[in-house]
Amino acid sequence: MATVSLKSINKLFDTTQVLYDVSLDIEDKEFVVFVGPSGCGKTTLLRIIAGLEEATSGEIEIDGIEVSKAHPIERGISMVFQSYALYPHLNVYENIAFPLRVAKLHKTEIEKMVQRAAETLKLTDRLQYKPGQLSGGQRQRVAIGRSIVRNPKVFLFDEPLSNLDAALRGEMRVELSKLHKNLDTTMIYVTHDQVEAMTMADRIVVISEGKLEQFGTPMELYHRPESKFVAGFIGHPKMNFLSVPRLSINSSGVTVDLPEIGEQLLPVDAIDMIDGQKIEVGIRPEDLMLSATETGLPMKVEVLERLGGSTLVYGSVHDNQNFCALLPGDTNVREEEIIKLAVNPANVHVFDSKGTAMKRREVPIV
Amino acid sequence: MERFTFVQKFFLYLGIAVFLTFILLPFFEMFMTSLRPLEHLFRSPYQFWSDDMSFQAYFDIWDTVPLLGRYIFNSVFLASVTTFLCMMFVIPAAYSFARFKFKGKTISLSLFLGVNMFAGAVLLIPLYKLLRSMGLLNTYAAMFVPGAAFLVPTGIWLLKAYLEKIPIELEESAWIDGASRMYILRRVVLPLAVPGLIVVGVASFIGAYAQQFLFAITFNQKREYMPLPAGIFEFVGYQSVIWNQLMAASIVGIIPVLIIFLFLQKYLVEGLTKGAVKG
Ligand SMILES: Nc1ncnc2c1ncn2[C@@H]1O[C@H](COP(=O)(O)OP(=O)(O)OP(=O)(O)O)[C@@H](O)[C@H]1O
Ligand SMILES: [Mg+2]
Repeated sequence: MATVSLKSINKLFDTTQVLYDVSLDIEDKEFVVFVGPSGCGKTTLLRIIAGLEEATSGEIEIDGIEVSKAHPIERGISMVFQSYALYPHLNVYENIAFPLRVAKLHKTEIEKMVQRAAETLKLTDRLQYKPGQLSGGQRQRVAIGRSIVRNPKVFLFDEPLSNLDAALRGEMRVELSKLHKNLDTTMIYVTHDQVEAMTMADRIVVISEGKLEQFGTPMELYHRPESKFVAGFIGHPKMNFLSVPRLSINSSGVTVDLPEIGEQLLPVDAIDMIDGQKIEVGIRPEDLMLSATETGLPMKVEVLERLGGSTLVYGSVHDNQNFCALLPGDTNVREEEIIKLAVNPANVHVFDSKGTAMKRREVPIV
Repeated sequence: MERFTFVQKFFLYLGIAVFLTFILLPFFEMFMTSLRPLEHLFRSPYQFWSDDMSFQAYFDIWDTVPLLGRYIFNSVFLASVTTFLCMMFVIPAAYSFARFKFKGKTISLSLFLGVNMFAGAVLLIPLYKLLRSMGLLNTYAAMFVPGAAFLVPTGIWLLKAYLEKIPIELEESAWIDGASRMYILRRVVLPLAVPGLIVVGVASFIGAYAQQFLFAITFNQKREYMPLPAGIFEFVGYQSVIWNQLMAASIVGIIPVLIIFLFLQKYLVEGLTKGAVKG
C-alpha cells in the first residue's frame, strides 16, 4: 500500500532552478515513468522523493503522511541507481543482504530472504561472485535484488537500463514489468527513452526543463498530447510539424491552408488567437498515407528505410526538412521522387503559438 | 607488441641504472664499512676489499651500546604509535573533507597545507614550552604527539584525494538502505579505501621514522625512551667514532622497516597507480 503525492515541489541548486512547481498524485501499485530529455530534472525529482535531496519548497506525502524531512527508511522507499552502485568488495550474497544486515535481522532470516530474492531474479548460482565478475544484466539484477529484499513500499529506478545493449534492454523491460506484477507495489521509473516509458508505464509523467508537461496513460499522451513538446516527445518516429497559414476559426474547428491540398477544416476545439496568421499543425508519420488522388502534401523523398513490414520515408515537405512518413512495407516509392501524402483531418494535431494543443474532437477512446 | 625500440630501451635502463647507483651507493658503502675492521677504515690508500673483513661489528654493537635493542624497539614503537594516532585523526577528517560541505572548508584545507611549510624546527621552542606545561617532557608521548600532529595535514590531503574517487552512489545507496554514517564509513568506504589507507599509513610511518630524531633530542632526555637515530650517537665517543659498528647498527635498525615495506610494496604501487574503484 503506497500512494505518493508531490505538492508544488520547487528545487534550486544555489541560484539555478531545476524544478518548477511540480505537483503529482501517484496511486497505489501504479507503475509511473518520469520521462524527458537529458537534464530536465528527472533524477533530481526522484532523489527528492527518495530523500537524498531536499526540495527547496513543497511537500511530499507517502501514504498520506508528510515525509519531506524523513529519512529514506522511514519513507519506505528503495532505489536502484543508474550506475547500479554495487559494493565491489562484497559478493552478490552480501550485496543483496546489505540492507538486511543494516536492519540487524537474524542470520537465518537473512539467508531465507536473500535466497528468495536470488530465485526471483535467477541469481542463485551467482551468489558467491563479486560484482566485477558479472555481466551488465546480472549486475542490474543484483541491484534490483538489493532493493526488493526489504519489501519497500515504493521502488525508485533511475534509468536502470541505460547501460545495457538494445537486446538486453528489451528483455529487462519485460522482466521489470513482470516484477511489478509479482511485487504488486508502487514503482517510479526514470528514463529518457520514450519507448521504455510507453511500454512499461501505467501512467507517464513528461517533464521538460523542470516543468511537468503532462501526466497520463501512454495512450492518452499519444492521442491527446496537451502540448507540442509532448506531441513531439511521445511516439516513434516523431510527429511532423508544419507551420501553415490560418484561414478562419469557428465553432467547427480551424481552417488552414495545407500545402497543395489547400483549404482544410481541422476538427478541434479552437482557441482563438489574435496574434499571427500562421498556425502549427502536427501529423504523426503513421497517420500519413499515399494519396489516392492527384492532390496531397508534396514530399520530396530523400531517404528510404525498408523495415519489411513497413517503410519509413524521410524527406522534406514545405518548410519542414525532416518530414517522415510511415507507409506499408511494399509501397512503391523511390528516392528523389516527389510523392503526394494524404491524412485524415481528424488525425491532425493543432497547436497555438505558445505550443498549447487544441483539443481534437474525434479521438479513439482510451 | 613492443612499446619501445631497442635503443629507447637501452637509454631507459641506463637512466634507471644511473639513478639507482646514486640512491643505492651510500647504502652499499654503509654495508661495506660495517664489514671492515676499524683500522682498515683509516688505511691509506683506500682499499675496497681486504681479507680481514668480517661480520664482527654486528656482534660487537650489542656490547658497545647495551641499550641498542631497546633503541630499535623504541624507533619502531614510536613510528607505529605515531602512525596509528595520525590515522585516527586523518580518516574522519579526510572523509569529512571529501564528502561534506561546511563553512571554512577551503580555508582550513589551505591552512593544513600551510602548516606543512613550517619545518618542525621552527616550532621546536614553542612546542617545548607546550609539552613542559603539559608535563609530557621525557615521555614517549613527547615524541609521538608532535610527530603525529605534523603528519596529519599531509595525510588528510592524500586520503581525501583517494576517498573522492569512491563513487558517491555507493554511499547514497547504503544511506537509503538505512545505514548510519559510521556504518557506511566502516563497511563501505574504508574497505574500498584500503590501498589509499596503506599509502597514507606508509607515508606517515616513513615521516614518523624520519622526524623522530629531532623530537627525541629536544623533548626527551631519558635514555630508555630514545629511538635509534638518537641512540646511535652513543657510538660517537669523545675520542673516536666507531664507524663500522655505527654502520652495522644503522643497518640492523633499518631491517624491520625494510621487511614491512617488502610486504606492503604490492599495495603501495597499486595504491599509487590505480585510479578510481570500479563500481
Ligand atoms: N548537485 C547539483 N548541483 C547543481 N546542479 C545540479 C545538481 N544536480 C543536478 N543539477 C542540475 O539540475 C539539472 C537537472 O539534472 P538531473 O540530473 O535531474 O537531470 P536528468 O533529467 O536526470 O538528466 P539525465 O537524463 O541526463 O540523467 C541539470 O541542469 C543539472 O545540471
Ligand atoms: Mg538522470
